[in-house]
Amino acid sequence: MIHFDNVTKVYANQNRPALDHVSVDVDKGEFVFLVGPSGSGKSTFLRLILKEERPDSGVIQVAGKDLARLSNFKVPHLRRRIGCVFQDFRLLPNKNVYENVAFALEVIGKPRRFIRKVVPEVVELVGLEGKAHRMPDELSGGEQQRVAMARAFVNRPMILLADEPTGNIDPATSIGIMKVLDRINRTGTTVVMATHDAAIVDSMRKRVVELEDGKIVRDQSRGVYGQAY
Amino acid sequence: MRANFIFSEVWIGLRRNLTMTVAVIVTVAIGMALLGVGLMINSQISTMKDFWSDKVEVSVFLCKKVDPFPACKGSGGVNAQERAALKQQIEAMPQVESVAFEDSAHAYEVYKSQNAGNTVLLSAIRAEDMPESFRVKLKDPDTYTAVIEQLKGAPGVSNAINQKELLEKFFALLESLRWAALVVAIILVFAATLLIGNTVRLSAYNRRRETGIMRLVGASNIYIQLPFVMEGVIAGLIGGVMSGVLLMVSKVFLFDKVQVYLANTVLTWETVTKVILITLVFGVVICILASFVTLRRYLRV
Repeated sequence: MIHFDNVTKVYANQNRPALDHVSVDVDKGEFVFLVGPSGSGKSTFLRLILKEERPDSGVIQVAGKDLARLSNFKVPHLRRRIGCVFQDFRLLPNKNVYENVAFALEVIGKPRRFIRKVVPEVVELVGLEGKAHRMPDELSGGEQQRVAMARAFVNRPMILLADEPTGNIDPATSIGIMKVLDRINRTGTTVVMATHDAAIVDSMRKRVVELEDGKIVRDQSRGVYGQAY
Repeated sequence: MRANFIFSEVWIGLRRNLTMTVAVIVTVAIGMALLGVGLMINSQISTMKDFWSDKVEVSVFLCKKVDPFPACKGSGGVNAQERAALKQQIEAMPQVESVAFEDSAHAYEVYKSQNAGNTVLLSAIRAEDMPESFRVKLKDPDTYTAVIEQLKGAPGVSNAINQKELLEKFFALLESLRWAALVVAIILVFAATLLIGNTVRLSAYNRRRETGIMRLVGASNIYIQLPFVMEGVIAGLIGGVMSGVLLMVSKVFLFDKVQVYLANTVLTWETVTKVILITLVFGVVICILASFVTLRRYLRV
């Protein structure tokens, strides 16, 4: 599903590469934690998958497509197959829960009838039934992140990228968020989650890829956050 | 493509930037109106030139018995021999199409009809006061200078004048008016372009959250950009319609009033419609271009 082959990315005005000859494969339906300290290259990894950045060398394939050969005009179609969740939720403050989720479908031109059918289903999937007409500022952080997840998942993407989704949320609420991510993963969606949260990684016992200074220092199935070397 | 989605976004954008939108509309309206006035003067100049070109002639006035013109001093009036020689000379000129002789009596008749109401003037002037003249029609009205130069010095000629010379002064005035209108129009179009650029930039900044999410969920570029471009187009269109109204008003209250003095050179509604369409299309195209150029800079897609 995601294939990195010897990928190097150096940002302009920086001599140290953000990613340094990284090779990794993520299969369909996998759940992968991307761990490592700040500046280790986790976000760069996610941005490369979305083709928000281009690698300086190496090959990236996402959903069977070589990103280097993907024309700019087809990038939106790639992004329709990838859902994204962020630490800061990125909801539209002037739209309620339903509208926030529906927005993701409206802007890719889905018919209204389809939107009316799938949005309530997804709102229910993330555990927000009965709150569809709340505004974001009426929701807790955990609930807002659920809305963001509903929006990321509503178009049934093949891949869900989560960049520190629990970064702004207290540990108790984080468990609920992880349950939703796990539920999404069980539908066959590949999930890649960048995180600092050791407790979550340890409790989930999923594959862990650890980055340090742009290099993969560990790739372990059913791993934990802190590895005893 | 969901039209109502785009339009609701456009409406929100226009309302949020109301002052800027109004500025764009006013600038476009005045700029396009001036451009239109320039085009209308232009079309007036060419119809007037066409109208006058086959009517203008060179008039060669002959000396009267008592004539104040210095060329006639002491000649005691033109004699038959000189008259015949002049006729021959004029007819021999390659530029001349035809020549007609107008005697004092005929000139007096024309003068009487032109000043029919003015009895005082008519009673003071007698037929003998009117000079005889040759009315020379040229093949190409623009070649008058050579003809006049040759005839001015000829014996028996008091003066040779070309009506075209008078008209050209008038045309020069019209042409400078046209250029003034066009130059101001160009400056205003430039200002409108910058204003639209600014409006789009503000709009892009106001909607950065929305566009960020649109990018993220894979909305196509056209879907992201269209609301901004439409904002420009709608502002341009409203401005264009306002300039159309201004142009119609200027036709009725300006061009039609002036036209009274310049018989047979009516500014037709057909021309006005054409000019309005041209300015409208031009205004909208400018708006689209300005929006696109700014979007390239301020909206990452």
